[in-house]
Amino acid sequence: MVAQNGLAVALAAWTAAPPADTLHVHVDHVLDGQERDWLRALSSAGTTVSWSARSTLPALALEVQPRDDPMGGVTARVAAPRSARVQVGDAASPIDSMVLDARGGAITVPIASQPLSVRVGSSQATAASADSLLARRVVVLGRGGWEGKFVIAALEERGWLVDARLAVAPGIDVTQGTPEMLDTSRVAAVIALDSAADRDASRIGAFVRSGGGLVLEPEAAGRPAFVGLAAGGVARRERPASITVADAAPRRALAMSAIAPLHAGAVAIEWRDGRVAAAARRVGAGRVIQLAYDESWRWRMSGGEGSMEAHRRWWTQVVGAAAYQAFAHTATSSATDAAPLASLYAALGAPRPALDAGATAERHGLHLWMIFALGAMLLAEWGSRRLRGAP
Amino acid sequence: MVSEFVFATVQYESGDWDSAPLVPANLIDSVARYTSIPVSPTGVIVPLSSPDLMRYPLVYLTGHLPVRLSDAERRSLARYLDRGGMLFVDDHNHDVDGQFHKTVTDEIRRAAGPLVELPNTHPLYTTFFHFDDGPPTTSQELNGWGDNLVHRHLMAVVRGGRIVVLYSNKDYSSEWGYHPENKRFLSVDNTRLGVNIVVYALTR
Repeated sequence: MVAQNGLAVALAAWTAAPPADTLHVHVDHVLDGQERDWLRALSSAGTTVSWSARSTLPALALEVQPRDDPMGGVTARVAAPRSARVQVGDAASPIDSMVLDARGGAITVPIASQPLSVRVGSSQATAASADSLLARRVVVLGRGGWEGKFVIAALEERGWLVDARLAVAPGIDVTQGTPEMLDTSRVAAVIALDSAADRDASRIGAFVRSGGGLVLEPEAAGRPAFVGLAAGGVARRERPASITVADAAPRRALAMSAIAPLHAGAVAIEWRDGRVAAAARRVGAGRVIQLAYDESWRWRMSGGEGSMEAHRRWWTQVVGAAAYQAFAHTATSSATDAAPLASLYAALGAPRPALDAGATAERHGLHLWMIFALGAMLLAEWGSRRLRGAP
Repeated sequence: MVSEFVFATVQYESGDWDSAPLVPANLIDSVARYTSIPVSPTGVIVPLSSPDLMRYPLVYLTGHLPVRLSDAERRSLARYLDRGGMLFVDDHNHDVDGQFHKTVTDEIRRAAGPLVELPNTHPLYTTFFHFDDGPPTTSQELNGWGDNLVHRHLMAVVRGGRIVVLYSNKDYSSEWGYHPENKRFLSVDNTRLGVNIVVYALTR
C-alpha cells in the first residue's frame, strides 16, 4: 500500500484482518511514533514488515536543552538537510523559522511550553528538555565603581543571585552575600573586574580548575595574578571617537582593550573591527571568558531604547558561557519524537527497494487470482455436472 | 585607565541650580581623602535635559528657588532614574514650607514617585562611615534657620531595594559649602555623609 493520510486506518484494518505473512509499507512521509509502534507490534506478532519511501525522507533531529539563564527558556539544536527551511514551534503556535547550513542550527526560545517541535515539509520532530538547571550564584569582585554596580544590577534584574565584594578603601569593602565562599556547589561563575580581585586569584584558580566559570574584564586579565587563567594578552585601551553609545550596535562604541595574542587553546568568540573582543579558554574542568570591555555600564545608561534589556541579556550570555552548569534530571514526556527517521530505522530497519514492494503486492494479487480461478473452476464443475444430469 | 568617578551637578532651567558652588570640590576632596575610589579632581555641570546626563550615574541637585522642570527635563530625569541613575537633592533653604521644597518634591513625585522617610538603619548610613543616629545634624538646623526644625530622617524614592532619589531638608549644601582646606579646622569632618552617598551610589 502507499501510505497516504489514512495510514492509521489501513493499519487498523491490517491488524483486524487474519494475520498476513508479509506487509510492505511504501510511504511518502516519515512515520510518526504511533505508526512506527503499530508496525513494530505487527512485526512482533509474526508479520514480516518492511518499508520503502517514495522519495528521500528528510533526516530530522531535535535536541532541547535548558538555557543557563534565570529567565528560563531553552536552546533547540536542530539537524536537518542542508538548506532546509525549518519551522520551530510549540503546542501553541509556530515560534520561528530558519534555514540550516551543513552544521545544523540552534535557536534560543525564551518562553515556550515544552515539548518543542521542528518541521521540515511534512516531517516533524518533537523533543523536550530532560534536564533543568540548578540555580547557582555569581560572585562579582572588583573596586567600587559604575562597572561593578551595573554588572551586579544587570545580573540581578535578570534573576541571578549575586554575591559581591567591592573594594572602596584599603581594608574596607562593600560586600553583598558571602563572596568568599567559592565552590561549585553554590557558585556558577566569578566575575573579576580589576586589580581588586588579585587577592582572590589563587582561590579563583582552584575554583575554575574544579569546574567553575570565570569572566575577566581587561584590567583583571592583565594582572600577573591572572595570567595563568586569561585567554590572551591585553592590548592598549582604545575608545572609538565617532560613535555614540546610542547607536544600534552599542558595544561598538565602548572603550576596548583587544585580546591579543590569544593563548594556546583559546578561541575568539566576539570580534570588533578585526580584533578579538571576547575569547574563551578551558582551564582544567572550568571555562574562562575574557572580555575586552570594561565600561559596559555606558551601554546600559546611554544606549538607545532596549539597551537595558540588551545589557542584561548580554551579561547573562557571558556568564552562561563560562558558568559551571549543574543539571537536575526531570521526567521526559513520552510524547516526544526527537529523531523520527532514525527511530524508523531502529524500529523497522533500513528501507527495502521499491521493487520488493511490487513483488510483495504481486504475491498478494496472485493469491487472490488463484482463489478466483479455483472458484471459477468449482463453478464450471458444478455447471457441467448439472448439464450432464449428474447428481 | 579605568573610568573614574566624576561628581556632577545638575543644571536645570528654572531656579538657582548653582547656589552651592563649593560643595562639589569639597566632596571630591573627601572621596579622594578617605577612599581608594578613582575620582576626577574636578566636577562637571550637566544640563538635566542633556544626553550627557547618562554619563554620570550620580548627580547632585540643589537650589533656593522654585524648580519647574521643562518637559524635556522631566523626560530626561525619568529616563535617567529608570536606567539606574541616582539623584541626590538637597534643599538649600532648609525649609519644608519653602518654594524649593514644595516644587522639587512635586517634580520628584512626577518623575520617580512619592518620597518616603528613609529609616535611619538604612545601609546608606553604614556603607562607609557609620551614622548610628541617621543623618548628621547640620549647623543650619541648630541655628534655627529655615523651618527651625531638626530633620531626623532623609527622604527617598526606593526601587527594588535601591535608592534612586535621595532627598534632604537638612541644607547640606550650606554645611558642605566651604573650601576643602578648611576641613582641618573641624574636629569631625562634616562631609562624611557625602562620602557615604557616593560610595552607596557606586556600589548598590
